[in-house]
Amino acid sequence: MEQALPPAAPEAQKPDFLRRMEERFGRRQFLLKSGWAFFWAFLGGWVLANLRYLFPNVLYEPTLSFKAGKPEDFAVGISERWKKSQRTWIVRDAKGFYCFWARCTHLGCTPNWFEAESRFKCPCHGSNFNKSGDVVAGPAPKPLWRCAIRLADDGQLVVDKARLENRPGAREQGEFFLPYEGQA
Amino acid sequence: MAEPQPAPAKPDLMQQVKKTKLWKSIFRHDFSDTPRTRLIRIFGNVFLHLHPVRIAKDALRVTYTWGLGGISFYLFLLLTVTGILLMFYYRPTSAVAYQDIKDLTFVVTLGGLLRNMHRWAAHLMVVVVILHMVRVFLTGAYKPPREYNWVVGVLLLVMTLFLSYTGYLLPWDQLALWAVTVGAQMAANSPILGNEGPFKLPFITPFNDARFGLIGGTVINDATLIRFYVLHCIAVPFIFTVFLCVHLWRVRKDSFSKQTGEKVDVWPHLVSREFLATLLVTVVLFVWSLLMNAPLEAEANLNVTPNPSKAPWYFLGLQELLVYFDPWIAGVVLPTVIVIGLMAIPYVDTNPKGVGSWPKMGWKRLGPLPIWYPTERPFAVSVFMIGVIMWFVLIFIGVSCRGPNWEWYWPWESWSYRRMTKLTLKNIPNLWGLALMGAYFLFGSPIPKAVKDRIAAKAGPKAPALVSAALHFGLGLVMAAALIIPILTAKDADFPLRSQYTTLFESLGRAVNAPAVAAMWHLVQNAGPAVGYGVIGAVILGLGLALGAIGVPFGRLKDRMFDEMGLIKYTIVISLFMMMTGVLGKIFLRLLFGVKYLFSLPVFNFNI
Repeated sequence: MEQALPPAAPEAQKPDFLRRMEERFGRRQFLLKSGWAFFWAFLGGWVLANLRYLFPNVLYEPTLSFKAGKPEDFAVGISERWKKSQRTWIVRDAKGFYCFWARCTHLGCTPNWFEAESRFKCPCHGSNFNKSGDVVAGPAPKPLWRCAIRLADDGQLVVDKARLENRPGAREQGEFFLPYEGQA
Repeated sequence: MAEPQPAPAKPDLMQQVKKTKLWKSIFRHDFSDTPRTRLIRIFGNVFLHLHPVRIAKDALRVTYTWGLGGISFYLFLLLTVTGILLMFYYRPTSAVAYQDIKDLTFVVTLGGLLRNMHRWAAHLMVVVVILHMVRVFLTGAYKPPREYNWVVGVLLLVMTLFLSYTGYLLPWDQLALWAVTVGAQMAANSPILGNEGPFKLPFITPFNDARFGLIGGTVINDATLIRFYVLHCIAVPFIFTVFLCVHLWRVRKDSFSKQTGEKVDVWPHLVSREFLATLLVTVVLFVWSLLMNAPLEAEANLNVTPNPSKAPWYFLGLQELLVYFDPWIAGVVLPTVIVIGLMAIPYVDTNPKGVGSWPKMGWKRLGPLPIWYPTERPFAVSVFMIGVIMWFVLIFIGVSCRGPNWEWYWPWESWSYRRMTKLTLKNIPNLWGLALMGAYFLFGSPIPKAVKDRIAAKAGPKAPALVSAALHFGLGLVMAAALIIPILTAKDADFPLRSQYTTLFESLGRAVNAPAVAAMWHLVQNAGPAVGYGVIGAVILGLGLALGAIGVPFGRLKDRMFDEMGLIKYTIVISLFMMMTGVLGKIFLRLLFGVKYLFSLPVFNFNI
């Protein structure tokens, strides 16, 4: 027994090991497994393709830029003139113009302006913003977005809601602030 | 011209008809009340064959199930039929959708009744499905071998809510539009795939994020309407039906959590009860629909939000949660945790007791208080019911306690759109907030028996109890200190941009919406700093000791649960439990202390 086993063991083990390898990764298994692999890859790809299909390539949405009238038509303060049609507040202060996108940064409702408290308040979850658009209460995580504002050749204000900025420092300059010191 | 037939000829005619090949090809059995036909009626009929032919007498008792599962199913059928009829007059484009609903309500004969029934049946279905879930939980009907069917049931609940959500965009009124705006914006706040969520992938923009995929664009318009129309009328009902089949099938195939004795024939005992239940529900819905019209607000306006803007009642709990948490937590993480937590229940609840009957209640003394508690499953039933009640309390707050600008109005107060309310919320500095949250979640950690034994072997038999007391009192004190000390000492990070005061204490102390801080502020102002801060220090100590005093008996419960459940199940259960009470805690922090975030990393949109 003891003499027979040691020489027999490696010989018996080797084919056994090879047979197991063969059973796992051999020709038949290779064909079967690659077949299933292609099946699942195809199915997964198909699902992904259909998912991609749900993301449209062309959007039929209203343009985000509009002409807001002459600057001298705006008094100093918050103008709600364009809120109902363009969802923006045009703000005029002593130095010029800026424009808020009237969309709460929490979950996208339209806040209302309350002159007495000098705050924008959102009707959906109670976020409060001050005159600079910064959050003072409620759940909103970010300040209100400001839109790019400039003067067109015909002297009207042009607001572009596709270009937005809300970081303090960046939002008070460049295309997001229009210096203007004319008569009200 | 037919001659007047003599009266007894009629049964003969029926007999003749019943002998025809045509009749026999349709009806395979006779209708005499014999044991044989009772069985054949069930398994020979495609509509009835999901029933077993015989059923335990106990399971038939109306007061056991209240027929809630069957009624949910009937409501789904009723909604399908009324929905199909409504589709004949409804066109899903923004130009005409609202007009079509107006037409249905005021012009089409009985269209208003049909729409009312569809709407009220939907509301009723939400109620009944939730009650069905509560019933199944309380009677332990999800326990082995029915664990998986509970999971399917939770999915059906989620789909019921999603059907409601997709359905109420269709009238294209203000309620519809703003509820969907909020719901879609929650998708934009989902982690990784939302443009405004934490940890978003680098290629995610407003033009390819989760919200874009849901509403088919960047703003809600025709693309959204047709998308929700298809989801509501075809896609979700299709998936719902598939899962419903599985749900009903598995009720049959999984057999019962508890085998009971006597059985009776399903025909007529169960079928007649089902028939009566459907009749009752139909009558109730008819009367309800005749008396009350389904709401229809003004036509959707993408630029103007009604004030206040309230979701339908079953989503008001979620809307209220969104007030206290960042949208990615309240809108994505918490709902996901709730759904997964519900699904996990049968897999973590290893208590075999309490199956097949409503919980048996008993009285117990806890200190001076008498407590009415479920004797067989005290923890499971209490925690589940607290969760359900919390959800309905949130709904109640949303329905009755919120007015213009989503400000707090007591139910007996009248609303004013010009009420002067200057709310103020502040963040706690991140490190203090981390300490608070860390101590809070450590509060859920157990001391396993093995550790206790080692402590006892080293330091004597009383040592484990002392260690537990030290742990809980220590954590209680840390929590109390980490909440109040930063409020007293931190600078107001908003000064001077958003705040006129330099310290957190003064900002919150002068605010109208942080009564606890205001009380401390006035104390310090009126009684002088020495007395004021002394009293506040005593309050911190008292709060910490109170938390510790709760923690010690809670610790005994935790240790026992840990030893019974093992690490994995315990971790799941205690995490869900701590999150649930944590939500309550955060609500109190917000309402009493004016705390906005405990931890905030605005760069990553990561706020808690």
